[in-house]
Amino acid sequence: MKCNRIVLWSLLLSLGTLISVSSAQQPPSATPASIEAVQVIGLTGVKQNSKGNLKVENGSLTFAFSKSTCEVPAASIQDVVTGTDSQRVIGGTVGTLSRLAPYGGGTALSLLRSKVDIITIQYRDPNGGLHGAIFTMPVGKAEFIKEALLAQGAHTSIRSQAKSNSNSPLQSEAMEQTK
Amino acid sequence: MKTIKRAAVLLTLVTGLSAAPLLPAQPPPVVKPPAAAIEVEMIQPGEISLPAEFQVALYENLVQELQKKVGFSEVYRDGDRNASDASDLVTLHTTVIGFKQGSELKRDVTTVGGATSITIRCQFTDKEGKVLLERDITGKVRLTGDNLRATDDFAKKAASVAQETFSSDSTSSDSKKSGYKNVT
Repeated sequence: MKCNRIVLWSLLLSLGTLISVSSAQQPPSATPASIEAVQVIGLTGVKQNSKGNLKVENGSLTFAFSKSTCEVPAASIQDVVTGTDSQRVIGGTVGTLSRLAPYGGGTALSLLRSKVDIITIQYRDPNGGLHGAIFTMPVGKAEFIKEALLAQGAHTSIRSQAKSNSNSPLQSEAMEQTK
Repeated sequence: MKTIKRAAVLLTLVTGLSAAPLLPAQPPPVVKPPAAAIEVEMIQPGEISLPAEFQVALYENLVQELQKKVGFSEVYRDGDRNASDASDLVTLHTTVIGFKQGSELKRDVTTVGGATSITIRCQFTDKEGKVLLERDITGKVRLTGDNLRATDDFAKKAASVAQETFSSDSTSSDSKKSGYKNVT
């Protein structure tokens, strides 16, 4: 009797472990509530290089910035492409001024770089006019946005490589670039 | 006395004739093709492998520069249905014919290497498809800034070419005052 209980408990424990491991291995499918992003260019009424928050909800891509928002219906997006790049950690005016630092200090500062994800969209306005927009965001976030947009009716010329386990994100981006 | 008068007349004539070629020659008036509106088509990568962000940045910068600088009353985007009703419409077709993606890091460190350059064939056509102007324009970033600044450089040059080539008589007074053209 006691032996049966021990077997039962051990079975339950092993099952629980298996379930927790399998759920941990699955890629996160839910889109984060909002992602910090920089709108490089393209959205109507938004200045270049505006910082804000990007999210996909209710069938739209929403960019919220300084108490204002800009929405692009996912259905109007005819192409979503992701990419990667790097940028200076110290940018803007301070970054430019830092180039003048003596004894090669400016050059040393320019070596401090961070990787970023890029997401590029092309969409049509109600008159049929074609628009494009570019966003940069922390590494690993662009695929979430792309997947969420595709799920809500956006189109892409390059299918996501995230589902393929064999390819690393960098490899998939390289493939995207060469297509 | 008669001889002196004749000599004076002759001298005047000779001086006048010899001075004539020294006067600045008046250039013939250049007749610019009229263009009230322009439609910008999406940048075609052609046979060049162009990253999507470059393609979109080139297109958006081009539209913005044309709206800012050039005297077109309307700047239409690719596929805009309102463009078909516009009179004196010029369409700008662009195809990438050269692209070298440099490196911002290399530019920062070496200051001589790592330049990014994009060469684009710009073709301005009228409504019937007749080519009004064709020119290859190169956008570059050599020293400071990220690679996408080459797209801004290209757009400024292309807008200047459009401004020099087409007349802007039909520009509205309001848009002239503001310095910005109607946004479509």
